[in-house]
Amino acid sequence: MMIAKILALTIFIVMFVLIITDKIEKCLVTLCCGLATAVFVFGLSMHSMSAFTETLNVRNIFTLGFWYEAGSSAESTSGVNWATIIFLAGMMIMVEGMAKAGFFRWLCMTIAKLVKYKVIPIFLTFMVMSFVLAMFIDSITVILFLAAVTVELAQLLKFNPVPIILSEIFCANLGGSATMCGDPPNIIIGTSLGYSFADFVTNTGLIAVISLVVIVAYFYLCFRKELGKAGGDVDISKMPSPKSAITDKKAFAISTVIFLIAVALLITHAQTGLTVAFIGTFIAIITLLTSGKNAKAILKGVDYKTLLFFIGLFFVVGGLEQTGILEIFAQFIGKVSGGNIMVMIAIIIWVSAIASAFIDNIPFAATMIPVIKTLSATTGADLSVLSWTLAMGTDIGGSATPIGASANVVGTSIASREGYPVTWGKYCKVAVPATVIVILLSMVSIYVRYL
Amino acid sequence: MGEQLIIAVSREFGSGGHAVAQLLSEKYNIPLYDSNLLEDIADQKNLDAQALGKYDEKSKASFFTRSVRGFSTSPEENLAWMQFKYLKSMADEGKSFVIVGRCAEEVLKENPNLVTIFVLGNMESKIHRIMERYQTTRDKAVKLIEQQDKKRKTYHNRYCQGKWGDSRNYDICINSRLGVDKTADIIAQFIDGERELKH
Repeated sequence: MMIAKILALTIFIVMFVLIITDKIEKCLVTLCCGLATAVFVFGLSMHSMSAFTETLNVRNIFTLGFWYEAGSSAESTSGVNWATIIFLAGMMIMVEGMAKAGFFRWLCMTIAKLVKYKVIPIFLTFMVMSFVLAMFIDSITVILFLAAVTVELAQLLKFNPVPIILSEIFCANLGGSATMCGDPPNIIIGTSLGYSFADFVTNTGLIAVISLVVIVAYFYLCFRKELGKAGGDVDISKMPSPKSAITDKKAFAISTVIFLIAVALLITHAQTGLTVAFIGTFIAIITLLTSGKNAKAILKGVDYKTLLFFIGLFFVVGGLEQTGILEIFAQFIGKVSGGNIMVMIAIIIWVSAIASAFIDNIPFAATMIPVIKTLSATTGADLSVLSWTLAMGTDIGGSATPIGASANVVGTSIASREGYPVTWGKYCKVAVPATVIVILLSMVSIYVRYL
Repeated sequence: MGEQLIIAVSREFGSGGHAVAQLLSEKYNIPLYDSNLLEDIADQKNLDAQALGKYDEKSKASFFTRSVRGFSTSPEENLAWMQFKYLKSMADEGKSFVIVGRCAEEVLKENPNLVTIFVLGNMESKIHRIMERYQTTRDKAVKLIEQQDKKRKTYHNRYCQGKWGDSRNYDICINSRLGVDKTADIIAQFIDGERELKH
């Protein structure tokens, strides 16, 4: 068993290092490491077929509980989290349909028009829009469109888009923390540990909304001088009309309706019993059915590499779980904290935040789930409290650096490509204090509310 | 204005490639772009050319960069991307120009009016040219040539499938040992000949 532990840990570390150095395609890294786990850990060391099948977890897809949960709380699962993958795939398809129809650009242009193209109101409204959209849609897509429109408006209205883009990025990551479907760590936590949309909204959602108010004020204070000078008298008739963003009226209407259906299904899923896997699949099917000849193009737009990345990742983490390494790590945290839950929360939130600032937060969150499960079981700490702590730490920590979260990479890259390079210094100067503020706020909120 | 003509000149350091490009630009009366491309873009978009200049023609930096779905945090990569996009848009608009470096032979390869050149030179001529231009010693000239060629090669190969200097990527690979004027003439003969064929 010792050899199995060492192999599993080695494969995990190698995987992490390869992901960080970014020289090899991420999905290839995790799939190969997943395969290595299957062969060397489950096969040659443990000789355990059950470890392999448990981790592969495909059987789970064919159970009723995967698609419909009659009871109020779901069972927690381990191994490859197919619910996350299927849900993500479904949402990707929906979002691709929305993007093709011009939904996001239309929304941004509509809001800009409503505030009469004044820079500071655009700054404030776009931050809130980023937060709200990211509650339901992956933050990469949100920033992809928001940043592009911000740059476009910046060139028309003559302001520097960087402050607004940086603020949008932070708010997107914050919005993602508010719901179960906003950010992959939350999706993984929710589906692995059986928490619903309502569970997240009433817990991390509350913290996120309070943080949003503080953070909008913070960014306003940081940038009001710079943005206040910008812009000027604008000839509104020269601005691109929101209507011009719509590429296909019918597709636009349909995709908006599908989006609203998705939101409604997600908000009510604990009451209806429909799982996120069901919702993801359903949304994907109606998007494809209603998109007619565009269905092929939409399917092509799905980010399969990310889905494959997840599959490999879950498998490697499954290897750590099956070999008991994560239990050891959990016991270590329990020991260091002396069983004191306040210390445990502090450790989890700060370590998650700092790690997520430099390392992809998704593998980190996936790895920590079995850890907090064990921690809860051995110390009696409330698992839900540890879950919200982990969610906030991993979701928000990623905002601190340009590489911490995918939205950051996309947003800064878009700004950079238009001639506004964003250095680490420029980024961290505003983002690190903002991250610290929100993590502190989260920690205090958790202490006050739950302890 | 006439038919579109885009001449992409890649060159070894000290080979006189830039001078050849200049002569071609004068002969066909079309603008020449090299490092001034950045100034042109900055002018159009109201940006600070100097601030951007420090990332120009450098290959992707370090450990602390990350890329997601083709988007990268590296300012060097993004600047390169910006210039490639600008070149493509000029080409799509039907503009004629000479472009030195900037991976143009790969970036613009879909354009049927593109002519791609690689100018090389004998080591001795290159050394003399650099010693004169930079008023420096022979040893320093040799070192500079090695450094600059390595820099260009790294930059080029980072963004292009074809390798820097590989003759298969260029319409003409020419050694400038006949002198810059004759080299430009030979290239012009090729361009004129091709235009005649098209008509």
